[in-house]
Amino acid sequence: MSVLEIDHLNKAYGSLRALTDMTFDVRAGEIFGFVGSNGAGKTTTMRIMLGVLAADSGEVRWDGQVLDLQARRRVGYMPEERGLYPKMKVGAQLELLAGLHGMSRDDARDAVRTWTDRLGVGARRGDDVEKLSLGNQQRVQLAAALVHEPDVLVLDEPFSGLDPVAVDVMSAVLRERADAGVPVIFSSHQLDLVERLCDRVGIVRAGRMQALGTIDELRSTDQERWVLDVDADQRTVLARLSQVPAATVSPGDGRTVMVQAHPGATDVTGAVLRAALELGQVRGLTPVRPSLTDLFRDVVSAQEPTATEQEVSR
Amino acid sequence: MTRHPVLLVAAREVRTRVATRSTLISLGIMVVVIVAGAVLLSVFQDRDQDDAPDLPLGLDTSVAVLTEHLQAAGETYGRTVTTTALTPDQGTDALTADPQDGTDTVAAYISGDPRAPEVLVAETADEVLLEIVRAAVVQHVLTQEVADLGGDPDALATALATAEPQVSSVTDADDEFDPVAYTIAVLMISVLLFSLISAGSVIAMGVVEEKTSRVVELLLSTIKPSQLLAGKILGIGVFGLLQVLVLGGAAAAAALATGLADRFQVDVGGALAALILWFLLGYALYALLFGGFAALVSRQEEIGAVTTPLMFVLFVPYYVTLFVVTGAPDGTVARVLTYIPFTAPFVVPVREAIGTVPVWEVAAGAAVTLLTIPVLVWLAGRVYRRAVLHTGGRMKLGTALKG
Repeated sequence: MSVLEIDHLNKAYGSLRALTDMTFDVRAGEIFGFVGSNGAGKTTTMRIMLGVLAADSGEVRWDGQVLDLQARRRVGYMPEERGLYPKMKVGAQLELLAGLHGMSRDDARDAVRTWTDRLGVGARRGDDVEKLSLGNQQRVQLAAALVHEPDVLVLDEPFSGLDPVAVDVMSAVLRERADAGVPVIFSSHQLDLVERLCDRVGIVRAGRMQALGTIDELRSTDQERWVLDVDADQRTVLARLSQVPAATVSPGDGRTVMVQAHPGATDVTGAVLRAALELGQVRGLTPVRPSLTDLFRDVVSAQEPTATEQEVSR
Repeated sequence: MTRHPVLLVAAREVRTRVATRSTLISLGIMVVVIVAGAVLLSVFQDRDQDDAPDLPLGLDTSVAVLTEHLQAAGETYGRTVTTTALTPDQGTDALTADPQDGTDTVAAYISGDPRAPEVLVAETADEVLLEIVRAAVVQHVLTQEVADLGGDPDALATALATAEPQVSSVTDADDEFDPVAYTIAVLMISVLLFSLISAGSVIAMGVVEEKTSRVVELLLSTIKPSQLLAGKILGIGVFGLLQVLVLGGAAAAAALATGLADRFQVDVGGALAALILWFLLGYALYALLFGGFAALVSRQEEIGAVTTPLMFVLFVPYYVTLFVVTGAPDGTVARVLTYIPFTAPFVVPVREAIGTVPVWEVAAGAAVTLLTIPVLVWLAGRVYRRAVLHTGGRMKLGTALKG
């Protein structure tokens, strides 16, 4: 079973620590979503995977072997900074890239035809890349990552700049490749997409993997959250509930209030209900399953500066 | 079948250059200039020959024996003597006839005793004409006398023909200024300079284009930086060689077609071979430098900052060769520059064309240049590898070397 393993990557740019023990794996047939705020280290990780950047330590393995130049020819890569020859025809350019990945001339021509048609830029094969709209250039860029039937897909922000139709096509292609047994890793800021598409997600912050697992695994935290709807003024409710031990409250939509139980606390709901009933009729107390966006916000806003500093001094 | 990445990159470069209109136009202009230059030169040469016009003479039968001597003497004076046998009346007519009427005219009518002929002219006798007749008469008299004395007139003629002073100089004869060799030498290094500069600029622009368009990251995820640089240099080199062949070939073809090569006894093949050899060596040197240096910058506007010093490096050997080496092709300066890799490509072909450079010096110069190439490959490869993925500001050469 081919697994893409990212094993304890460390990378520093001078005094700036870009990656600290970045470790995760992407299994065959799996779509892995790589999320994190700007500058968190996603692109650095991907560039190291593709050998475009050298890690200070750690390694990337595929099928148990270090991902070397020969193996990288079987990887499909879409760099964050889109790059194609602006004054070269779409078809010729893709054929060249397919050739560089080791395809024969005829196979390359067939694959280019297939993928440009599939991605909706078949009619533009004879045009220079610079003549295409940005969205279409993006499609060509994706074709460049797919044209050699790669065994691994590494895509940095593949969805940025795509229209909804292209997003659907792209999603379908990623799913199809994963179903064919290809490990797919992509980064994105469109968390709803990641949530919908990915089998597993890794959230990075300041160069470290902070949360890793399936969306469901990430959701099952010990910090339970509810939405409380009471027939009363929101400010009054907030004031009253803040006296409930082991609960943190915050304003929700409309007049609702968000309640979060402290880790390990028991019967928080009971205490909250009792307090709420004193204020008016309780319309609802609904448990909230955190979205990826909530998880992301939690992870990213968590303050752990000391840990990073310790790493730097180590 | 997998194709080698270096060849794929090289093929792309050739295809791109061939499809670039501006490159083809400038090449076309150069060809036109070269061919026009050769044709003009040949026209001027032909006109110089026309300055030695025919000298038509009318001869009475009594002086027919002078015909051969007149022609021989005419040759000495740079005239083509044509003779027509005429009666005295015809001779007078021919002297006064108007050439516009299409009748044959003569410059003089010669009659009487061949030992002291009468020369009838229209108005005044041209000094050269008289000299020719005088020489012919002297020759005739000598021949007659020698024959009368029982000697061999032909042996006399042969002896006279070889009675020439043999001139030799203390310095080597090849050191004398030879305008033809000089022209060829200048033409060769000019084609060389043009080709090296245009190829170097194309390489620099190509490297920076890949950086600015960021396609380099995609390429380097599949192939090594050294393969990308090598493919680029190879491809542009093939195109550059094509350019040299077209320019050098145009010059050679023009020289052969207009007869210039024959007239000046130029070794067209040898000159072309030297040009190609030194283009290849010079190209390898300078292309590596252009490629490595260009990787340091990230924007097209900054190319000048790295290519200008290199252009300067190219112009120095060109001008030194043009002004110093052509003057003293076997002097100390020229000999020293033969062993400096960056000047050798300019100096050696000129020394070959003008001077008397020993084969071993050519070989040694080529060897020094060849040995420099691996050093530059290492150096340029190192700079390129470290700088090519660096974006943003300009990377310092020292930083790229230290890495």
